Amino acid sequence: MADLAPTDPRYPGHGYDPLEHGDEHGHGHGPSGVGKYVIVFLVLLGLTAVSYLVGNSQTLREKSPGVMWAAMMAVSCAKAMLVILFFMHMLWEANWKYVLTIPASMMSIFLLLMLIPDVGRRVDRYSEERWLYAAQPDSNSHAVAKAAEQHGHDKAGKSDAAGEQPAANH
Amino acid sequence: MAHDHDHGHTAVKLEYQPALPIGRGKLCLWLFLSTEIMFFAGLIGTYIVLRFGAPPESWPLPHDVHLQEFIGAFNTFVLICSSVTIVLALEAARGNHAGLSKFWMVATFLLGSVFLGVKAYEYNEKFKHGIFPAKPHSLLYEKADLNYVAAVRQSLAPKSLALTEKLPELTAKRDPLLAKLDAGQALTEQDQQQFTELNRQLLPNDLQYDLVQWTELIAAKDPDQAQRRRALESLAVAIYPLRPLGKEGAEMEHHYVQMLDEEAKTVRHQMQELEKDRSLAQNELAAKKAESDALTAEIAPVQMQRDMIQKEIERLQKAETTTAATEEAPSNLVSLQPPATQPPTANPQVEKLKTELAALDAQLMPKLEAQRALLAEQQRIFEREAAFTTELKRYQGRVRLLLYTLKAAPHGLNHTFSELRLPMVIPSGNMWASTYFLLTGFHAIHVLVGLIAFVLVLFYKLDRTKAHILENVGLYWHFVDLVWIFLFPLLYLF
Repeated sequence: MADLAPTDPRYPGHGYDPLEHGDEHGHGHGPSGVGKYVIVFLVLLGLTAVSYLVGNSQTLREKSPGVMWAAMMAVSCAKAMLVILFFMHMLWEANWKYVLTIPASMMSIFLLLMLIPDVGRRVDRYSEERWLYAAQPDSNSHAVAKAAEQHGHDKAGKSDAAGEQPAANH
Repeated sequence: MAHDHDHGHTAVKLEYQPALPIGRGKLCLWLFLSTEIMFFAGLIGTYIVLRFGAPPESWPLPHDVHLQEFIGAFNTFVLICSSVTIVLALEAARGNHAGLSKFWMVATFLLGSVFLGVKAYEYNEKFKHGIFPAKPHSLLYEKADLNYVAAVRQSLAPKSLALTEKLPELTAKRDPLLAKLDAGQALTEQDQQQFTELNRQLLPNDLQYDLVQWTELIAAKDPDQAQRRRALESLAVAIYPLRPLGKEGAEMEHHYVQMLDEEAKTVRHQMQELEKDRSLAQNELAAKKAESDALTAEIAPVQMQRDMIQKEIERLQKAETTTAATEEAPSNLVSLQPPATQPPTANPQVEKLKTELAALDAQLMPKLEAQRALLAEQQRIFEREAAFTTELKRYQGRVRLLLYTLKAAPHGLNHTFSELRLPMVIPSGNMWASTYFLLTGFHAIHVLVGLIAFVLVLFYKLDRTKAHILENVGLYWHFVDLVWIFLFPLLYLF
């Protein structure tokens, strides 16, 4: 299958830059041809399994959800990098790749940051009246029961804690 | 120095390049992809910001909204596989292996179709449970308030109304079975089957009265705010409980069943109080009845005497007028003038009877008055007793609902009786549904476009002259994979 690797620099659609090919064949990025794709594929599967396990870990979710989210996002970024670098051949492209990807990424990050004050922190500015119609976890739910437990109530799930919860939300 | 200078000159060989060193198609695709990066970054960013900015503790768990993590993981696997197959197709085309390239393209197309099929299954799973991005199909409510209870009532109303005709018949069939259960007797298998069937048929009616109306009355009348809230929330839990999977969820379910038992006990206790009150009222009624009976016994002879005197007076007066009339008749025969009414000659016998009558009336009046008052009071007590009876029936209905319906559906009425499709409370469920369907929907559209591109590509002979087309299609497809790499943890695992 190794003969499937691109060898002819003259076929259309493949870059004109001779440096590109020098890069690909001269320095050697691990196994050549199909082999590297298989390795990337296996790594991607492993990373998917990691994020699945991290996301399903109850202890992590309860003790430090922030770490869990950050870990999953890190895994996702790693997977994205693998796909971009190998499958999308960015590793072997010339410098034009930065012209396109860096501005787009920066715009994306700005977009996200701009959303935070108005949308992300909207609950901070809810009026009393708005709270009347806001989503409210019912006091029988696990999250509230747990919160009640942490606040020193006797027992989770006991309905005694029910009436006291709404104040905590406001 | 000169050598250095020369060297510098020869090393820098500037070449004029009219554009980026890539084909036009690839350039366009990359420009398109950079806009796509911003588009999806905007969508995903908005999702993150909405999700973490939601009212505290209110974002639903995957399990609450019928989202299965392993299905998402499977779809991730499928997309990664398809990314590999399309890369292999490109490599095959570059190596001028047209057949092999086509094989990998077909594989990619099939994998993409599998992804969409799984997506369709997932969407259907949501729709089946009333999770839609918008009304009128959506059954999602943000919190257990009066608005929610009204929605439940409205949803039950047509089914309950449709039962009206059959109601007496079905109730008559079910009542003896209920009485048996109330007495703590076990039902035979056949009876149990019949009972389950009847219960199912009567369910909308039972729920309308013993769940919705019961809750509404507490929510409207109970002076304790905590009680009002608890009543509303327990209605929501009865319909659709939000519990995590595993041990904790099982524990919560156990608690819930215990709470049902406790409530049944409390309501039964209240029923005993009510029964006591009712028997008090019954006693009072009996006492009043005896009193009025005694009075009637007193009144009756006097009344009889009075009637006799009345008759006697009438008889005497009648006799008098007839004699007067026969005397006057001839003289008045031709007279056009009306006969002058003569004051009846004072009959001493009649006068005497009249005074006697007046004396009797004076004796009778206060007694009749008292009798009337007694009857009015009896009516009042009777009404009170009837109210106790209906109240008792209501309490009994509640106990039966708790023990025979809610206890049999600890996973929620919407789960056990899925045909009901009652409104359910999932805090931030509407926001969840909006973002989920928007993100996965846009992604699915991209997958669909990819599949169309694959079909178009499959018409070519995929040798090295077509490799650039495959490369561009591949870039697009990898981007679709890339988006899913972020969507999977964000939607399924966060």
